Amino acid sequence: MARNKYDVDEQLETPFDFAHLKRSFVYVKRYRGKMVLSLFLSILAAVLALFGPLVTQRALDVTIPKRDIAGLAGLAAVLFLCNLTATVLGNINARIMTKVGQNIIFDIREDLFAHLQKLPFSYYDDRPHGKILIRVINYVDSVSNMLSNGIISFIMEILNMVFILVFMLIVDVRLTLVAMSGLPVFMLVMFAIKKRQRRAWQEVSNKSSNMNAYLQENIVGARITQVFTREEENAGIYDRLNGKYRKAWMKAVKYSNLVWPATDNISTGIRAAMFIVGLLVLDPATVSLGTLAAMTGYASRFWQPIMNLSNIMNNFINNIAYLERIFETLDEPVTISDKEGASELGEIEGRVSFKNVTFGYEEGINVLENVSFDVEPGQSIALVGPTGAGKSTIVSLISRFYDITDGSITIDGHEISDVTLNSLRTQMGIMLQDSFIFSGTIMDNIRYGRLDATDEEIIEAAKTVCADSFISMMDDGYETEVNERGSKLSGGEKQLISFARTLLSDPKILVLDEATSSIDAKTEALLQRGINELLKGRTSFIIAHRLSTIRSCDRIMYIDEKGILESGSHDELMEKRGAYYELYTSQAV
Amino acid sequence: MFQIRWLWENMKGTRRNYIIALMLSVACNGLYITAPYFQSRIIDEFISNKNAAENLKAHRDVFLWLIAGMIGFTLLRTIMQYACNMYYEVASQGMIYKVRTHLFRKIENQDMAFYDRYRTGDLMTRLTGDLDMVRHMVSWVIKGCVESVALFTASMIYFFTIDWRTALCILSVTPFIFVITRMLSRRAGPAYRKVREASSQLNTAAQENISGNRVVKAFAREDYEIKKFRERDEEYRSRNINAAFVWLRYQPMIEIAAGGLTVVLLMCGGYFMIKSHLTMGQYVAISGLLWAVSNPMRNMGNYVNDFHRFMASAGKIIEIYYEAPKIVDRADAADTKDKLKGEIEFRNVSYSIGGKKILDDISFHITPGEQVVIMGATGSGKTSLINLIPRFCDCDSGEVLVDGINVRMHKLRKLRKNVSIATQDVLLYSDTIDSNIAFGDSELEEKYVKRCAEISAASEFIDKLPQGYDTIVGERGVGLSGGQKQRISLARALAVRPAVLILDDTTSAVDMETENTIREGLENRLDFPCTKIMIAQRISTSRNADKIIILENGRIADIGTHEELISREGYYKQIYELQSGMNAESEVMG
Repeated sequence: MARNKYDVDEQLETPFDFAHLKRSFVYVKRYRGKMVLSLFLSILAAVLALFGPLVTQRALDVTIPKRDIAGLAGLAAVLFLCNLTATVLGNINARIMTKVGQNIIFDIREDLFAHLQKLPFSYYDDRPHGKILIRVINYVDSVSNMLSNGIISFIMEILNMVFILVFMLIVDVRLTLVAMSGLPVFMLVMFAIKKRQRRAWQEVSNKSSNMNAYLQENIVGARITQVFTREEENAGIYDRLNGKYRKAWMKAVKYSNLVWPATDNISTGIRAAMFIVGLLVLDPATVSLGTLAAMTGYASRFWQPIMNLSNIMNNFINNIAYLERIFETLDEPVTISDKEGASELGEIEGRVSFKNVTFGYEEGINVLENVSFDVEPGQSIALVGPTGAGKSTIVSLISRFYDITDGSITIDGHEISDVTLNSLRTQMGIMLQDSFIFSGTIMDNIRYGRLDATDEEIIEAAKTVCADSFISMMDDGYETEVNERGSKLSGGEKQLISFARTLLSDPKILVLDEATSSIDAKTEALLQRGINELLKGRTSFIIAHRLSTIRSCDRIMYIDEKGILESGSHDELMEKRGAYYELYTSQAV
Repeated sequence: MFQIRWLWENMKGTRRNYIIALMLSVACNGLYITAPYFQSRIIDEFISNKNAAENLKAHRDVFLWLIAGMIGFTLLRTIMQYACNMYYEVASQGMIYKVRTHLFRKIENQDMAFYDRYRTGDLMTRLTGDLDMVRHMVSWVIKGCVESVALFTASMIYFFTIDWRTALCILSVTPFIFVITRMLSRRAGPAYRKVREASSQLNTAAQENISGNRVVKAFAREDYEIKKFRERDEEYRSRNINAAFVWLRYQPMIEIAAGGLTVVLLMCGGYFMIKSHLTMGQYVAISGLLWAVSNPMRNMGNYVNDFHRFMASAGKIIEIYYEAPKIVDRADAADTKDKLKGEIEFRNVSYSIGGKKILDDISFHITPGEQVVIMGATGSGKTSLINLIPRFCDCDSGEVLVDGINVRMHKLRKLRKNVSIATQDVLLYSDTIDSNIAFGDSELEEKYVKRCAEISAASEFIDKLPQGYDTIVGERGVGLSGGQKQRISLARALAVRPAVLILDDTTSAVDMETENTIREGLENRLDFPCTKIMIAQRISTSRNADKIIILENGRIADIGTHEELISREGYYKQIYELQSGMNAESEVMG
């Protein structure tokens, strides 16, 4: 799939069928017991509700004509008890179903989130993040009612319908047929509406996704907007997306709102037909008026559940547009996962070897071709070369962020695709170019490297990377609340925090990808001591443009033209007077 | 109740639709009450009547008219109902549209302090979930309330015309409803505010996890993230259940009161029948319409509940709705030329954030076209200093002047149009490279986009991409290397042809050779006059600068040219030695 952007609708891979609904039963099934209990309670309450008219009828027919006030009070008491019991049952039922509904969406959301954790970088790179976000939050919320109460009501209404149908058949088959003759018409109308309605609601979900994706990017990028005084133009784009959403919504409700009136009219038409057929068409001898009266009463009650059902279906259809998006995300293939029977990678020494590795982000365009090298435990390797040559790619392959096209990568002789991702990655420490800060305290941000680290260890790590001085100068020190795009930290400071985080994780293999690019020269010089400390006893890969930081590395690899152009120590490469030599001398002040 | 006033204020323009909708609502409910008329007349005259058969023969036309009336009436009612619903949708969507566009503009125009306060996930909650609650209020809750009140009042009046005693007995139940809903009201508010808070927390956890997915994977923290998310989701779930249970605690009382109406009618109505104050027909009439009184009562609880959800959400929206940025155009702003010259002066500028002094008594002057480098330790105030120029923040004391006019007296838009920054934290949009470069001026010719990319040394790698300038880059420019992102960001800054170009460490992730190309391009290939201010760490950047400003702890430690600065002891000389040290060393070794 090509990358998606905010103004492009996402194509739905799988067309809808009721399989989606069926699939959601996986989540419903876990609460089967409670659902059945709830259904039972609902039926009980429905039966109790039948008592009301009986009591009233008795009062009107017998008690009141007899002027029996005590009897009347008795009947009122019975009615009250019936109401009370039904209320209590209903309340218990509501409590059960509230929990079930919340549990179901909790389960779905947890699965969705857990699945997202397994998805490769490319998933996140290929679409605006806002589109992922609203699936996890808003869409899941929308389906809760449908999957809990919706299902129960659905079953209840069906039962109701069947129940009344049986009654009607007993009373008069012919009139029942008249009553049912509305069904095909109903089906036809529903079918016509449903098809359009479904497409319309899909459109709504698409437009809301686009709108929110753009919103999220603008929240994150508000500063850029201000720098380029694009406020007006961006607001214009947002208005357009907002307008499209409104249009889609109006179109969707145009259809949704049709359902109820259509059903209502059909129901009325049926009752009229029954009067006409019963009084004018059928032989009066075969239809007693009592039967007709009863039948018209039943007909209303027969259509009530159908009307309710159409309403429930209506709801289902609206929400299925969200449900299918959720399932689509759950179906997103996990391209990088543990192999069947993958073993735990034990504590490693840090021997890394590439054999004829070929790799490309997109098919047919290789970034690396036939790359081979061996790194002994404890060695430090510098990767240099022009931007975009593939330095970062090489290090992300070691952590298996991407699977290679050809060749093999081994650590201590273990093929990295044969071991579990977790055991591999927890032994690697990668400091990325982009230092992401979570909202929370600085302490928490550093602790992300090792969750069980004590405060002292964290401060120690911060000291090693020269971050302690600026952190202690802040008002709340390590407890200062920071967030992802706040102004409290400068770029260099973010890098230092990120550095401390990596240091704390105590990795066996360390990767520094432009780890110090935003740090000023003087701090960097101080930091160098910390880094040297850090490199001891670990295999390390360092990517840096400032060559001063990498001169002391055991080996320098010059990456260009899809492979290793030169490899050797600083002195060796200088002597060679090749690409590295040129690069180095060009940096001379 | 401010929320309601706010709601009304925002319905301007669509109020007419809304009022029509409300009136239609009332009318439809009126029709609902009268609808059974036709059917009951058919039954009365042609079915249950003793002379039913004769009636039918004699008045066949009446029968058919009644049938036609029944169908026609329903048709009319449903058409009205449909129109009514659509009016609600038009009104509520119109209002939401308006609020949404307003909020978007608000968010866009905020100061940096605003973004320190609000997390992305939290803002997203306000513009999605909260806004939907407002929509629900307009198109559902208020509608329901109005309908309920109309239905209730109409039926009660009808009951009173039938028999005041029975009606009074029925009415006597209502005070209970009021008491119960009041009790509910007090509890529901806090419960929903808590739900609202948890939802924002949940949103934030998901949002940061998605944005930070690289860090999560790098540290193999998936399990930790799942645990963190689960905790918040559990909190969200339990608060939702809790809020629902607050409602469910009062729901039985409301239900018993509303359902109790049938008991009251049976008892009182029956008693009055025995006492002959009420006839059978009257009893049946009241009983047939009792739902029109009990349903509104029943629904009141629901509406109160939803009302509090609305209040919690609307409160959150209103908070940003009225949030005013501190940095705005002054009324007496100077009317400057569209194109500034690019002269910059700082006069005794001091600036602090939260009581902490960031910049202290900064003074310097830059003439148009000069190239100035700012250097200093991490956290010494470099970024803050440049933020003062396009007024991303205002200084506490002193003056920042651009073209001799205090920045506060400039029109913000004009000022910022003239000052372009390639920020430290590169952020691209998920859009094509072409649109990203032309971000500041979407009308920009493709030729010029390419030219900017060339000067930024980006054209080479862009041309190599299969889709070239039409390649869509992900949010935060993922899929590109750090150096590539920086170069696109630089091209973006150049594309607006600013009078003042500020590079905030924009070439830190770029290799030396490329950096040289870029520097050379900036010096010789720009086709517009431009003052350049660069934050840099490398001597290679600063050696040709007209002026180098050294910041130390927010003060200017030194200022001068490369030659001047290396001739005296200090930060610059130390850096110089550090960075050229390796050279000297290698010469010795060589």
